[in-house]
Amino acid sequence: MGSHYLSRRILQAILTIAGIVLLNFVLFRMMPGSPDRISHNPNASSEARAAIRARWGLDAPLFPDQFVAYLEATAQGDFGQSFKFKGKDVTEVIAGRIWPTLILFGLGELIAIVVGLVLGAYSGWKRGGVVDYAGNGASLILYSMPYFLLGMILLVIFATALGWFPTAGMFELGRTYPTFLDQVADFVHHLILPLAAVSLGLIGQYSIVMRSSIIETRGEDYVTTAKAKGISESRVLRGHAVPNALLPTVSLIGINLGFIIAGAITVEVVFSWPGLGTLTQEALEARDYPVLQAIFLILAITVVLANLLADIVYGRLDPRVRT
Amino acid sequence: MSADPTAIGAVRRPPGRWALRLAGWRDFARRFLRRPEGLIGILIIGFFAVLALVPSLFVGPLELVTSSSGGRLEPPSWAHVLGTDNLGRDVLNLTVHGARISMLIGFLATLVTVVIGASLGIVSGFVGGSTDTIIMRITDFFLVLPTFVLALILAPIVLEIIGNGEILGMRTTLFVIVIVIGITSWSTTARIIRSQTLSVKERAFVDRARVIGAGHWHTMRVHILPNVTGLIVANAVLVFAGAILTETTLAFIGLGDPFAPSWGQILGASQDAGAPGLGAWWWYVSPGVCIVLVVLAFTLIGGALDDLLNPKARGHR
Repeated sequence: MGSHYLSRRILQAILTIAGIVLLNFVLFRMMPGSPDRISHNPNASSEARAAIRARWGLDAPLFPDQFVAYLEATAQGDFGQSFKFKGKDVTEVIAGRIWPTLILFGLGELIAIVVGLVLGAYSGWKRGGVVDYAGNGASLILYSMPYFLLGMILLVIFATALGWFPTAGMFELGRTYPTFLDQVADFVHHLILPLAAVSLGLIGQYSIVMRSSIIETRGEDYVTTAKAKGISESRVLRGHAVPNALLPTVSLIGINLGFIIAGAITVEVVFSWPGLGTLTQEALEARDYPVLQAIFLILAITVVLANLLADIVYGRLDPRVRT
Repeated sequence: MSADPTAIGAVRRPPGRWALRLAGWRDFARRFLRRPEGLIGILIIGFFAVLALVPSLFVGPLELVTSSSGGRLEPPSWAHVLGTDNLGRDVLNLTVHGARISMLIGFLATLVTVVIGASLGIVSGFVGGSTDTIIMRITDFFLVLPTFVLALILAPIVLEIIGNGEILGMRTTLFVIVIVIGITSWSTTARIIRSQTLSVKERAFVDRARVIGAGHWHTMRVHILPNVTGLIVANAVLVFAGAILTETTLAFIGLGDPFAPSWGQILGASQDAGAPGLGAWWWYVSPGVCIVLVVLAFTLIGGALDDLLNPKARGHR
C-alpha cells in the first residue's frame, strides 16, 4: 500500500524531469545564440563554425541523432561553453556558485518554516487577539512585498545608514584571516542581511497558510472532543490541531519552491551575493544562454525533487493518502 | 402603465435571465463592499486605476533624460516631493507614469493567464477521459516548473518571434512580458476551474441539457461557464497580484523597458545605480510602496471574494 503511493510519486517525478529535459532541448534550439545560429553566423571564423557543427552534430537529423547527442551531453553534465566567461565550461561556471545559494536559501527556508509555522499556528489559535492582528497584518504586508525590495530597505537602513553590516558580497575583499574562525565570523556578518530578507519574505507566506489551516481545524469535532475531555489548551493545539493543520502547509512548501526561486535570484542581486541568482542576472545581461539554460535545468530538477520529498513527507504525516 | 405591478389585470411577468443575474450581482456587490477588506481593496485599486488612466493630468508628461526637471539624486523637497533619480527626473513623475505601465501589463497578463487557464480547466473537467488526462499532465508539469527562470529564457525567444517595434502604440517589449507571464502562470487557474467544473457537471441541469440534445460547446458555454464565473473572477484577482509581482521581478532583473518604465523597472534602475548603497532611499521606496499597496489590495479583495464564494468558510465568523 505504502510502496504503491511512493512508486507512483517517483514515477511522476521521473516523467516530469524527462519533460524538463525535452523542453530544454527544444528551447536550446530556438534560442538566439543556439549552436545552429552560431554555425550560420558569418562573423564566426570558419573553424569555429565547423567545430560547433561537429560538436552538436548539426549535420545529422534533429531527431533522433541530435537529440541523443544532447541527452548524452546533458547526462554527463556537459552544457557547452559559456559565452561570457570565454573558454570556460558552463559546468565550471555554475559549480562555484551553488553552495552560497544553498547556504542562503537552506538557512532562510529553515528559519522561515519554524518561525512562520509557529506564528501562524499561534495567531490562528488565538484568532482576533493582539498577536493575530499584528502578526497577520505584518504577514500580509511581507507577502505583498517583492523580496528584493525588502532587501533594499534593510540594506539602506542597516548597512548604509547605521553601518552595522557590510553592503555587498560574501567576504570582505582583499582581507586575510588569521584563523578560520575569523573567516567564518566575516561570512556570518555578510550573511545576516540577505538571510533576513529571505526569511522575512517567506515567513509571511507560511504564517498566512498555517493560520488559515489552523482556523479550519479549530472547528473540527476532534478538537472539540479533546477540549471536552479537559485537555489543556496548549496540548490540544500541539497534539491535535497542529499535526492536522500541517498537511496543507507541507504541500504548499513544496509547490512554493518554484516561486521562491524568483525571490532568491533578486535578493542575491541586491546584496551581490555570489550565488546562482547573481549568476542568472549576469548571464541575462551578457545574453549568456548556455549558462541560463543550465541554471534552468538544475533549478527545475531541484524543484521536482523537493516536491517529491514534500509528497513523501506528506504521505508519512497523513496515512490517508498512502493508497 | 403596464410597468405598474399593482394595476388590476396586469400580468406579473417573471424576471428574465439577465434581470436575475443582474440582481444577483448587485446583491453580491453589496455584501462584498460591506466587508472592510473588500472596500479598502477596491478603494486602493480605484485610486491606482485613475492614476494609470490619466497620469499626465497629475504630474504632466513623462520626464525623459532631456526633459528632466531637477539635479542628480536630490532628496525630497518642496520642488520634488519624492526627490529625483540619477538623471534628475522627478520620482513622483516616474512613479505616477509607472502606474500606467505596471497596471496595464498586470491587466493584460491576467487576461491571458485566465483565458488560457479557464478554457483548459473547463474543457478538461467537462470532456474528461484522455483529454482530461493529457491537459492535467501538462498542467502539473507547469505547476512544478520554476516558471520565473523559464520566463527569463522565453523572453528573448518571444521577442524574436514578435520583433521589435510597436503594437497598438505599446512597445513590443511590454507584450513580451505579458506573453511570458501568461505562458508560465495559467496552471493554477486551470486546476481550480477544472475541479469546480467537475462538480457543476454533476448537477441536474447539465444532464437535462444533454438529454435535450445540447452539444459540448453549447453546454460548456451556456451551462458551465456562468456557474464558474464567480470562481474565475476570484482567481483573476489573485492572478493580478501575482502578475504585478512577476512583472516587477522580471523588470528588476533586467527585462524592463527603460523607455516605458514600470515600477519594477524604476526599482531595477535604482539598484543598478547603487541607490541603496548611496542612501538614496526615496528613489525606490515610492514605487515600492505602490507595488505593495496594489498587491495587498488585490490580496484583500481576493480574500473577501473567497469568503463570500466559499460556503464552507462562510460558517465561521
